Amino acid sequence: MIVCVAVVGHQSFTEADDALKLHHIVHCSLDVVDERVNNPKKSGPLNESFLGLLCPPENYKVYGYLTNTKVKFILVTTDLDVRDADMRNFFRRFHSAYVDAVSNPFHVPAKKITSRTFAERVSTIVKSLG
Amino acid sequence: MGREVSESCVDSLLTEIVSTYCNGFYANKPELAARRIEAIGYQVGHQLSERYTMERPRFSDHLEAIKFICKDFWSELFKKQIDNLKTNHRGTFVLQDNRFRWLARMSVDPSSENSSSPQDPSTMAENKAAQAVGMHLYFPCGIIRGALSNLGIPCAVSADISNLPACDRNNITKRNFDPCLVAPLTAHCELS
Repeated sequence: MIVCVAVVGHQSFTEADDALKLHHIVHCSLDVVDERVNNPKKSGPLNESFLGLLCPPENYKVYGYLTNTKVKFILVTTDLDVRDADMRNFFRRFHSAYVDAVSNPFHVPAKKITSRTFAERVSTIVKSLG
Repeated sequence: MGREVSESCVDSLLTEIVSTYCNGFYANKPELAARRIEAIGYQVGHQLSERYTMERPRFSDHLEAIKFICKDFWSELFKKQIDNLKTNHRGTFVLQDNRFRWLARMSVDPSSENSSSPQDPSTMAENKAAQAVGMHLYFPCGIIRGALSNLGIPCAVSADISNLPACDRNNITKRNFDPCLVAPLTAHCELS
């Protein structure tokens, strides 16, 4: 089950599910993202947005995705046998939901996304992955 | 699926933005009007860059991002790529478009020429035309700056139009049936 999805912009948090612990996990994984991005060897020569499995702390698996505009998406799941293809698919759909949300002229860049439509779309995507 | 927007609507919108800000809100402060128009462009560029970079690998350096602006971003917005890119390798990029789409259907009001002062009417009209065209360039400049900033390249963007053909009186008469400016546009991106 996906327990947390976070959007991390340039400044700080924008969106995350409850629980202090998950915040902690997401924060830790951000360091892994930085490490991957600054060591191109590790992230592969393709510079893909999808960063793959970041770290498996305790009973979770953490996946990351970095857009061209330096916005990070972090996903925490309790499923231990996740297929990469599913994650890729998830992030692709999540990314387009994100783009639609920030393209709203009333959205202030770098601020928390408050759109209800975005929240609904995210929960649909999360549910579709179980 | 991509959605499309009528080009004439975009043209009219741009014209209307400029005239509202220049003749309405900030009639006496052209500087302020320019800044406001640029700011609108900035937000648009910021959001467009988010969308247009969605399906592509991350850029490894500044040049790659600039190339993206010149090719893909430019063709999405202006339906063609730029014609020439120059750089001094020290953070200044000069993008040249020999037929800038957003000015292609613009022509100078001939009445402004007749009413200008008698001593040097052609220069007066030329200045006036250049000023009017310049006002319409703050919006695209803002778009480019917004897109680059969002890609992690804070910069300053300015544009200038070299040899405005329609400023030439003879050209206007010749172009009576085709009031198009073939406007060579040069945009300067100064990375900060």
